Amino acid sequence: MKRLQNLNTNIGTTTATVLNIQRMSTEDGPGLRTTVFFKGCGLRCAWCHNPESISPYPEVQWLEARCIGCGTCVKACPLGAVAADGRGIHIDRSLCDGCGACARECPATAMELLGEEWSMDRLVAEVVKDRSYILNSDGGGITASGGDPLVQAPFVAEFFRRCREEGFHTALDTCGFIGTPSLERVMPHTDLVLFDLKLSDGAGHKLHTGHSNSKILENLVHVRDYIESHERPELWIRTPVIPGATDTEENIAALAHVIEGLLNGAVSRWELCAFNNLCRDKYRRLGIEWEYRDAQLLDAALMERLANVARDSVTRPEIVRWSGATAGEQAAGDGQREKKTAATHLVKGCG
Amino acid sequence: MESTALKFQIKEPKGLSPRIAWLRDYYFSGVDRAWNNEFTPWTTGTPWDVQYDEISFYIVPETYPFLQTFRSSMHQLARPVKLDPAFWSWTLQERRAWFVREVMVNHVPQELLPGDLVAGSRFNLQASRCWTKNEAAARDRLIYGKKGARAFMKWFHDHGYGNAGATSGHLIPGYERALTAGWKGIHEDLKAHYEALGESDRKGEKGAQLRAMMTAATMPRDLAAKYASLCRRLAQKEITPSRREELAQMAANLDRVPWEPATNFWEAVQSLWITHMLVMSDENYPGPGVSFGRLDQYLFPYWERSISGGMDREFGKEILKCFWIHANTAYDAMIRVGGNQGITAGFGQLFNLSGMGPGGRDMTNELTYALLEVIDEMTPILEPKPNVRLHANTPDKLLDKVIDMISSSQGAPFLLNFDERSMAGMMREAGSAGVESLITAENVYDYASVGCLENTMVGNDRSGTVDCNLNLLKAVELAFTGGKDLVPVIDFMSGKPGKITQDGPATGDATKFRTWEEFWNAYVIQTRFLVKKCVELYEASERVRAEFSPTPYLSTLVKGCAQKALDVTRGGPELNFVTIEGVTFGTTVDSLLAVKYLVFDKKECTMAQLIQALRDNWQGHDVLQAKAKYRAPKYGRDDDEADALATKVMDLWTAETWKYRTISTGRQFRPGMLSWNYWVGDGYVLAASPDGRPKGQFLSNAICPSNGADTNGPTANANSVGKAMGGRAADGKGDWKDYLSSLPNGASHTITFNPSLLRDPEHRGKFKAFIKGYIANGGSALQVNMIDADMLREAQKHPQNYRHLLVRITGYNAYFTSIGRELQDEIIARESHNKY
Ligand code: SF4
Ligand code: SF4
Repeated sequence: MKRLQNLNTNIGTTTATVLNIQRMSTEDGPGLRTTVFFKGCGLRCAWCHNPESISPYPEVQWLEARCIGCGTCVKACPLGAVAADGRGIHIDRSLCDGCGACARECPATAMELLGEEWSMDRLVAEVVKDRSYILNSDGGGITASGGDPLVQAPFVAEFFRRCREEGFHTALDTCGFIGTPSLERVMPHTDLVLFDLKLSDGAGHKLHTGHSNSKILENLVHVRDYIESHERPELWIRTPVIPGATDTEENIAALAHVIEGLLNGAVSRWELCAFNNLCRDKYRRLGIEWEYRDAQLLDAALMERLANVARDSVTRPEIVRWSGATAGEQAAGDGQREKKTAATHLVKGCG
Repeated sequence: MESTALKFQIKEPKGLSPRIAWLRDYYFSGVDRAWNNEFTPWTTGTPWDVQYDEISFYIVPETYPFLQTFRSSMHQLARPVKLDPAFWSWTLQERRAWFVREVMVNHVPQELLPGDLVAGSRFNLQASRCWTKNEAAARDRLIYGKKGARAFMKWFHDHGYGNAGATSGHLIPGYERALTAGWKGIHEDLKAHYEALGESDRKGEKGAQLRAMMTAATMPRDLAAKYASLCRRLAQKEITPSRREELAQMAANLDRVPWEPATNFWEAVQSLWITHMLVMSDENYPGPGVSFGRLDQYLFPYWERSISGGMDREFGKEILKCFWIHANTAYDAMIRVGGNQGITAGFGQLFNLSGMGPGGRDMTNELTYALLEVIDEMTPILEPKPNVRLHANTPDKLLDKVIDMISSSQGAPFLLNFDERSMAGMMREAGSAGVESLITAENVYDYASVGCLENTMVGNDRSGTVDCNLNLLKAVELAFTGGKDLVPVIDFMSGKPGKITQDGPATGDATKFRTWEEFWNAYVIQTRFLVKKCVELYEASERVRAEFSPTPYLSTLVKGCAQKALDVTRGGPELNFVTIEGVTFGTTVDSLLAVKYLVFDKKECTMAQLIQALRDNWQGHDVLQAKAKYRAPKYGRDDDEADALATKVMDLWTAETWKYRTISTGRQFRPGMLSWNYWVGDGYVLAASPDGRPKGQFLSNAICPSNGADTNGPTANANSVGKAMGGRAADGKGDWKDYLSSLPNGASHTITFNPSLLRDPEHRGKFKAFIKGYIANGGSALQVNMIDADMLREAQKHPQNYRHLLVRITGYNAYFTSIGRELQDEIIARESHNKY
């Protein structure tokens, strides 16, 4: 019952369930941005970097490092979902309804509620705080990410409208797996779409993400048509390069075919984002077995090769970029040296 | 077998000519050098003679145990100087002026390193203080008496209040005048002032002062003559024709400057160096904070003239690089003390680059870029320290160059200073101190920075920028106890706890307070007490310096001293300030926020329980400590409510500071925020604090949020800092335009970023936007660190490979491997926390 109530409030325009707000984000579109991570996503990608963003409902997680073992959370839970033993705190997910009582009581913020209700006004007030930085950057603005922000499309549409009123550029980061009306609702207020394209093969897509890609491609065509008739927004494609799933030359070439054939000229950037294993801890905390737990970072050489395949397969090779942490030398994006990124919180980007 | 491979690339010098590469390598060979610039002590030969003046070191708690040792060892090693027969009939300032000149010109050897293009080598002196027996005894009483300066200073420090002492350096002498008028001009001017004195003034203190200054003004001339003949001797022996020519030219330069005005770039740099190094000789104090001001502005006419006269641009840079090496030899003073050849923290011979000019115009010029190239090619090196002034009209070309350098040097090889906020602070000072005729909207852009980032005017201003360092947190402690130490001070010798006494005002039993306002009021009263106590402590050493330690040479370079015929140590300068640096600001604000949150707003505990937890150093109070650390609001998150309290704390202590002047010298106190390394050391002195910090953990640094508190990232952090300083005036009526600033001295702010942020041009563009946003929203000065934790851990493991890895905190820059393990760990903790 509680969950339904939560969900109902989420589809209005007054409040939204927000996972996190990252200021001075440098990886979610042009310039400096404030990225709002909305909760909820229709796909179930096996490699998902932000598993805490999938469910549209609030969830709790236990951060071991902060816990002082006081047991307050055990007593606080009205449903008896929290237990403590010598090894730590355990949350019985089948009992927990995300009420957040444990998180409110925990003295050390070791019990954390993921997914907080934000009102429109409060959210707008929060993102304008970085106006001076954002408006001084090239194309900087606000990014709605997730999850898939389109799960809360009415709110996001109004939020974007308000952001643009404030003079901010808006970017929508979506996996495209959503009813087209949701997309239609947000497009008029969007300056840039960051659209995830993972696998060209429908069966493979179903295998790795739980759903075929037909809806996604349909939405992509919708975006293309919208761009053709309105001459905006800008469109970037993002492809997560995942070992054993999307990291083949065939897949990249086939995606290039989609970009060339279907989107012909509408795409101004195609980013290949290397698989990241830093989210291991997040799965553990949420009590989810992760298929990719032991997967290693990819080789920089492989990323470079795939990027070359991509470049060779599109008419404008300059739109292709790659980024992310890689194994070995930890060399990175576009031939520049890079240290592995220390971002352990929300790994953004592709998928 | 320990691996010695270098895993991480650290910045290397580049593009150095063989000459400069040799000089630089020679410099870094440290104790192995045949030549160095170690202190040489000199005596008048009296048994009561003193060389080492401990007062300058009262702000360096690490030296407290050695003060006596330094004094006696310098005295023992001191070589006698044959005195003028009339010596003891002169006044103290005349004796001292004569003695320093005599030693520098006729006793300290003049030397020139191979290939060097700038003359002026040994300048680190411990010269006799030239006291008569009576003077020495009178001074000793003021220092060592039961109520003397040293005991007061020790009490103040041991009880966690901070430290204060009349310290040398830390100003920008009027160097430009030495270049344009020459010492001849300065001397003539002094003479005119002297001749304008009435008969009785001439016989009195005023006459003595001006005579001493005239003597001092001939020191650069006489020393230059010595160096000129040295160059001629070397030229005769020189076999390489090109070097022979250089030496001949140097001799010719020295025939003119610094006595005559400089006519070209080489002469100007030569003149500047001798003029500058003699300040350090005069004060017997190597380097700290004797700063150059706007180097790219006042050297620019000479640069332009020489370039158009055919000087090769690279040769111009070569002259500057020699100047760089000279500045670093200041560190030789204590070359055999400590593990890193006397090099610890940066001494802070600071200079500014770029910045605003009349009408808000940007002043970047060709020399700005040449100097940046010199820095880039010489880095890593500590001195002189660059501070780049940025503002809304800074050209993108300069910003791009600055960011490029940041990306290749583990962080900026320089500090960034922000004109709008800085000038707002200077304008506030003009109003608060009643010096509106000296600091005006038309000249305020000519401000410059001292030491690390302390803003002052130039050539007429001594603001004692590091002289008082006050732990604001102590007032919170005293508010709990009604004016007593929360925990007893353990006696260093006996290991026994001392008696707790009523030191501050009795503000009542905090456990009886029913409202937050009552606690705040107690805090207000204790803060007033704290500031007053600091002012009293300062007076204890200020009056001693004023009476016994004149610096007539330095006085010739500070406007006001000749006009008033008053030494710089006696209040001579036109602008006469002492800065109280507020230390522990973030910890203080967070502590107050925690008291409000835990005791009054959320009633998580009673006041008595909180006080007990602090007495117990949080031991056994885990839950309450966790709430204090994690649930209470914090400064640094751009949380308007928390930041409003930060502003309130700022307004309170700065208003108190403006209420005082020194008695002996009439210097107005003014506020600033710089913590040098006190936030580390005093963390072991101050009791546990309500923000959850146990005794022994570091305090917050300068105006920075407490470590780890800035959970919303750099922009939120910067916004909080800007707000704490005053923000922007909603009605447009700020101190400078709409900018407000409570801190004329400015405030030190450090943010550490992960190097990946600057990995490609696109990301460098994003970082540039951050800097531009900082100009609008942030504080007065920013130190950017670009270091990742892995590299620092590697450097801890293999220090031999990372000797030149510079880290910068607060403009307190230091070689990472030369700082203590605790501070190293702290820096690593900071960086690991950092997600950006
Ligand atoms: S969120 Fe609510 S139901 Fe879930 S564990 Fe916490 S207290 Fe229990
Ligand atoms: S309440 Fe928080 S700190 Fe206490 S046991 Fe639970 S998670 Fe740990």
